[in-house]
Amino acid sequence: MSRRNIAQLLLDGTTYFATLLSIIALGLIFVYVFREGGHLLSVNLIRSDYHARNFVGTLREESPGSFPIESFEGDDLFPVERYGIVLQQTQDLAGDTVIRVYYVHEASPLRQLNNQDPTTNERTISLQEGMILRRVSYQEHPTSLTSRGASMMATDMNDSQREIREVLFSLEGGGIRGSVITTVYLIFLTLFIALPFGILTAIYFNEFAPVNKVTKLMRNFIETLTGVPSIIYGLLGITVFVPLTVRLTPASNANLIAGALTLSVILLPVIIRTTEEALKVVPNDHRWASLALGANKTQTTFKVVLKQALPGILTATFLGIGRVIGESAALIFVLGTAIRDQVRIFEPSTSLAVHIWSMMTDEPANIALSSTIALIILLIVLVLNVFIKVTVWAFNRKGSY
Amino acid sequence: MKEVFYVENLSLYYRDFAALKDIQLAIYKNQVTALIGPSGCGKSTFIRCLNRMNDLIPEARMTGCVRFDGEECQVSGYDVIGLRKKVGMVFQKPNPFPMSIFDNVAYGPRQQGLKNKEKLKVVVERALKQAALYDEVYDRLNDSALTLSGGQQQRLCIARALAMEPEVILMDEPTSALDPIATQRIETLIEDLKKEYTIVIVTHSMQQAARISDYTAFFYMGELIEYDKTDVIFSLPKHKQTEDYVTGRFG
Repeated sequence: MSRRNIAQLLLDGTTYFATLLSIIALGLIFVYVFREGGHLLSVNLIRSDYHARNFVGTLREESPGSFPIESFEGDDLFPVERYGIVLQQTQDLAGDTVIRVYYVHEASPLRQLNNQDPTTNERTISLQEGMILRRVSYQEHPTSLTSRGASMMATDMNDSQREIREVLFSLEGGGIRGSVITTVYLIFLTLFIALPFGILTAIYFNEFAPVNKVTKLMRNFIETLTGVPSIIYGLLGITVFVPLTVRLTPASNANLIAGALTLSVILLPVIIRTTEEALKVVPNDHRWASLALGANKTQTTFKVVLKQALPGILTATFLGIGRVIGESAALIFVLGTAIRDQVRIFEPSTSLAVHIWSMMTDEPANIALSSTIALIILLIVLVLNVFIKVTVWAFNRKGSY
Repeated sequence: MKEVFYVENLSLYYRDFAALKDIQLAIYKNQVTALIGPSGCGKSTFIRCLNRMNDLIPEARMTGCVRFDGEECQVSGYDVIGLRKKVGMVFQKPNPFPMSIFDNVAYGPRQQGLKNKEKLKVVVERALKQAALYDEVYDRLNDSALTLSGGQQQRLCIARALAMEPEVILMDEPTSALDPIATQRIETLIEDLKKEYTIVIVTHSMQQAARISDYTAFFYMGELIEYDKTDVIFSLPKHKQTEDYVTGRFG
């Protein structure tokens, strides 16, 4: 074999090898995330609150009866005939072990409980299917806890020696609804701030600015900003934007507006660069044709150049959305790490990425739920990328704008 | 004959390089003036002086005087937009905007504030008819201009310029990117347009200059060597360089 052929083979080999390696790496990440968190992925997770509402109640009648329970199949189901309920050993949305109420008989005394929570006005509360049974305490007997399992709790409750003193139960928690809403808010607020500034700056640099040392320096400066670690932008946010928003708005702490402002600063260089690339691709012929027709510079820029740069600007937008969804380091300072179910723009909350951070700094770290959120983020980014490709393709095919 | 442009002592430098040296010539109304010469001789630079497109090149510096309709048009403060409205331009490569055929032709008038749909329709139709393109595209005015062939695209660019109702049309090698049949159509079109417009055309083809022009200017190394009636230039040139060029001995 000649030397040339060997060199060719070597080059081809390295290309294939590198490609294979990167595809495997990406595939492994996806498989890992899916294996760890795939089982928690559900619509309920996205729709539910994170913080469960707790109920404390006492029985109204002293003596319970006996409620026939039709047979329920399953190893994880434990009937309590004395109170007419079926308990299920299971996991909640966040992947923690819990005891869920699987079935409640129509005449069960647990449907009519006296509310013992002084902070609410309701007199009567009721245990319903799907709720989580946290704790059952008895007169003169040790309390049944979640940690000892549904089987143990069912046995204790069926024991005729024990009289229930108090029942603590809750709605199912662990959902990520609040973080999803925060992320959506962040996307819209950030784009609303960053897009106009970014696009207009790019237009200025590419269409109007004279080519001299000052503009070259500014360009280099913007390029450099792209490479700054986002935690530094986080510091900027906490020293500039948080005090600013605290002064100008009802906010008293880290808040969504400050988060969006910080993200806007992170996005600006990306948007400026991508838009500028898109503007550069527009042939000068078209600018000249427009100017030769007696159109002025502004008309040429907005009617001819910008129209053709639209696919590029769209790409910049989607890249920006991806960046907002993925950003965590900067937001930890500026937006906070407290997971909220009621999202308000002047209060702290968490985006999806920060939700992961919160879950992983929990004791113990919740790897399963983190992986599920990671999976959701990956899916969104994937969908966004496909969307970019389709949009650009549609624009190019149409060829009319 | 009425002079539309009168150029006096025109020199143009790109940084230190003199692209045009002391040019002096007049462009006559309703005549076709051809500018010929080898590549890099300054003929395209010259034509771009006439509608001040050289303003867009930051390092270009100009001295001398160009009069349009008797008014000096190179001075600062002159209404450049107004000049370009009256002096249309067609480029070497067909460069329709990636819009519909209709929008391309309507572009110029629209930028001048013409919004009325009926009026725009009239303007577009007239321009397309003048550019001998209407019969080919009347049923697909809303199609993208990029679906047209190269020759049709170039005629669309001419129609686009005509829609502004200019006095002069500058053409910078309008047929050099086209096949012979498309070239012939454009040449016929130029013959027709001459009745209403003044045309200045840069061309590489001596035959084309001989066929369609009334006046011919021969440029060489940034200088205007000879300027006369076309038949004089091609039959009895005064300068040896002109004769060598038009007979194909160099260039």
